[in-house]
Amino acid sequence: MHTVAHQPAVFRRLRLRLVRNALRTSLETGRLRFFTMILTSLLVAGFTFATGWYLFHQLAANKIPFKGAIVASLFDLLFFTLGSMLVFSTGIILYASLFTAPEARYLLTSPARADHIFATKFQGAVAFSSWAFVVLGVPIFLSYGLTAGVPWFFYALLPAYLLGYVLLPGSVSALAALLLVRLMPRNRRQFVTILILGLVTLGAVWLVRLGYSARHTLATGGRELDELIGQFDLIRSGFAPNHWMTRGLMAAARGDLLEALIPLALVWSNGLVVYLVAAFAAKRLYRTAFDRHAGGGRGKKIYRTSVLDRIMSGLVFYLDRPTRLLVVKDFRTFRRDPTQWALLILFGTLMLLGATNFRQYYKNDLAIMDKYALSLMNLGGTSVLLCAGLSRFIYPLISLEGKKFWILGLMPVSRRQILRGKFAFAATGSLLIAETLILASDVLIGLPPAGIVLHAAAVAVIAIGLSAINVGLGAYLPNFRETDPSKIVVGFGGTVNMVIGLSYLVAVVGLMVVPFHVSQLAEGMKNQADAPFNPWVFAGVPVGLALGAAAVILPLRAGTRNLEAIEF
Amino acid sequence: MISIMNVSKSYGPKVAVQGLSLDVPAGELFAFLGPNGAGKTTTIKMICGLLFPTSGTVSVGGFDLATQGDRARALVSYVPDQPFLYEKLTGREFLQFTADLYGMSAERSREKIAEAIELFHLDEFADDLTERYSHGMRQRTVFAAALVHEPKLLIADEPTVGLDPKSIRELKTLLRELAENGMTVFLSTHTLDIAEELADRIGIIDRGQLLGCGTLEDLRRQAAMDGSLEDLFLKITEESPATAVAGV
Repeated sequence: MHTVAHQPAVFRRLRLRLVRNALRTSLETGRLRFFTMILTSLLVAGFTFATGWYLFHQLAANKIPFKGAIVASLFDLLFFTLGSMLVFSTGIILYASLFTAPEARYLLTSPARADHIFATKFQGAVAFSSWAFVVLGVPIFLSYGLTAGVPWFFYALLPAYLLGYVLLPGSVSALAALLLVRLMPRNRRQFVTILILGLVTLGAVWLVRLGYSARHTLATGGRELDELIGQFDLIRSGFAPNHWMTRGLMAAARGDLLEALIPLALVWSNGLVVYLVAAFAAKRLYRTAFDRHAGGGRGKKIYRTSVLDRIMSGLVFYLDRPTRLLVVKDFRTFRRDPTQWALLILFGTLMLLGATNFRQYYKNDLAIMDKYALSLMNLGGTSVLLCAGLSRFIYPLISLEGKKFWILGLMPVSRRQILRGKFAFAATGSLLIAETLILASDVLIGLPPAGIVLHAAAVAVIAIGLSAINVGLGAYLPNFRETDPSKIVVGFGGTVNMVIGLSYLVAVVGLMVVPFHVSQLAEGMKNQADAPFNPWVFAGVPVGLALGAAAVILPLRAGTRNLEAIEF
Repeated sequence: MISIMNVSKSYGPKVAVQGLSLDVPAGELFAFLGPNGAGKTTTIKMICGLLFPTSGTVSVGGFDLATQGDRARALVSYVPDQPFLYEKLTGREFLQFTADLYGMSAERSREKIAEAIELFHLDEFADDLTERYSHGMRQRTVFAAALVHEPKLLIADEPTVGLDPKSIRELKTLLRELAENGMTVFLSTHTLDIAEELADRIGIIDRGQLLGCGTLEDLRRQAAMDGSLEDLFLKITEESPATAVAGV
């Protein structure tokens, strides 16, 4: 028998070697890919910084009352949202790393301690899920710091705050993942569905209440600001970690170092305590949880065709039969995967809220300005969520075919048809969902017919273009090694795809819709009445349509060429 | 070395292993045979400590996997049918990681890694990242890692899949030598001629139950027929009661 290994050091060396080798390989064989990823991250950070700087600057320049309270509420909301996202993303990645990854099976047959395996997987999951937090969070606070003229220690404390805040949601989700798997009832599909629906409902209720207050505040010229801020009571309480972050950073911004350090200590101490509890739970429960997960089989289930498959087939009636079969195959795979459904429910609920949260309050008494401003917000929000949803579900489709691609390769369909099928699948689904939401909310808001037609056209261009971008880039930059779609999405290709998708939708909205809204808002300010349309506001529509055509043709062509050149 | 006492394992309502009892002494090469879905891999995973029995006990080297798992696992090496390697490590780095994980001293690990590289002819690619390895190269690297820490028990699930004829021959010779030098080898395979050629004893499992166990002669007596292992295997598994697995 050998001596007892110092396992934390062994795992630390492993991680260092893995990172070093991955970096070296990236620089040797994929330098362009590596620098493009850095560049796109910098672009996202730069865009966030510029937007943040502009908004904070406007807040200061226009001498808006209660601006301190507004900034604090925004920070509370930002930390709460990012923290919630970290809980979900770290939880999903950690669940896959601990219970389904081949590495977990390998390590569990070795003498590695369960809590040491947990620790190394935890660090990987948190690093993977929090890079977006850093890319988005740092520029926002830098822009705030620069516009507010904060002391130097605000910048010095910022990394400590952000690092500390990553620990707490990550630990909470790790603990939840372990306990869920270990203690989950045998019928876990039902349990998970109920749990997710419950969480989504709670979130929806809160967002609707928030929407109501926002509407009330806008409609009454800001007099009910307190009511809006009141909706954040839960996340502004002294027990809410996001509020510790806000309190600390605002204190640092004011120059009160002592007041800034106390919340920082709260963030770190609570994060570390929950991490220790999670590590202790892993030591006691991980192996038995793994056993339970592996042994949690169900009774024999017979899968049959569903009426949904026939509906999907009917929706793509214009395709030839083999391509239609491929579309139904993709749809069937999708609908039988409960994790995909859970995320789709989440995205769907957010889109629904984005498109309809103002409708009931604005039906009869909507001011002209609010009508145009809010319908534009609805369109923008729905488009961003559509972009995120397509990136999550459609972009990884080709990569996920992975080692099974030879099956498709042997079928009597060309690779061009395979891509066309995936594009039809994506475009049909996204068009149906986005058009329904936008048309319903526009009609209920009372937008004039010209505005509704314009929105319908813009959403169609966005949905079809984004579908082609996701399918095309998914084939152009595939990742056949990865089997976890969430890791494919946050990898190099996924990041490039997300940046291109966001730029595309900003361009389409800017060209096709924004001139119309700006013109009507300006007229509304002058006359307090719906003005006749200036025909020039539609000048960007043909350009938007041309951009949409390019977004369909170019990515699909590049993706097809790359896919046809790949050998399997 | 291995002691399995009245072990059952269920996956939900499905019983994968039922009332299995088996002892494998140190230095024996034991071949575990059975049709697809018979319960071989589940049994192996319980011996490795990856899964726990629903009832009964599994111990390795006298250590119960349920209560002294870390000590038991320190004695075991497992080569699964789909071996795992870190894609961004070289073969040599993977061997070093394995040696470190099992607490080998720097000097001893250097010596054993060099031996393993020579034994499995890894020298040509030991410093390449494993993501570039073929299946055969991966299999040889995994075997080298399995043996680098000098385990008392080697468990191999379908070890010859993906290996060329020369490598299979070398592996068979090696497994026999390891057993003769005192290592217990627990082999799960569908390749009956390997079991016939190498094994001291053979166990046949079907539908979660051990149907036969012993030397080739013992199995012939049990089946009341002469013939090859293939004949015996088919006869024993065909005669097994259809009701062996409850609840399916």
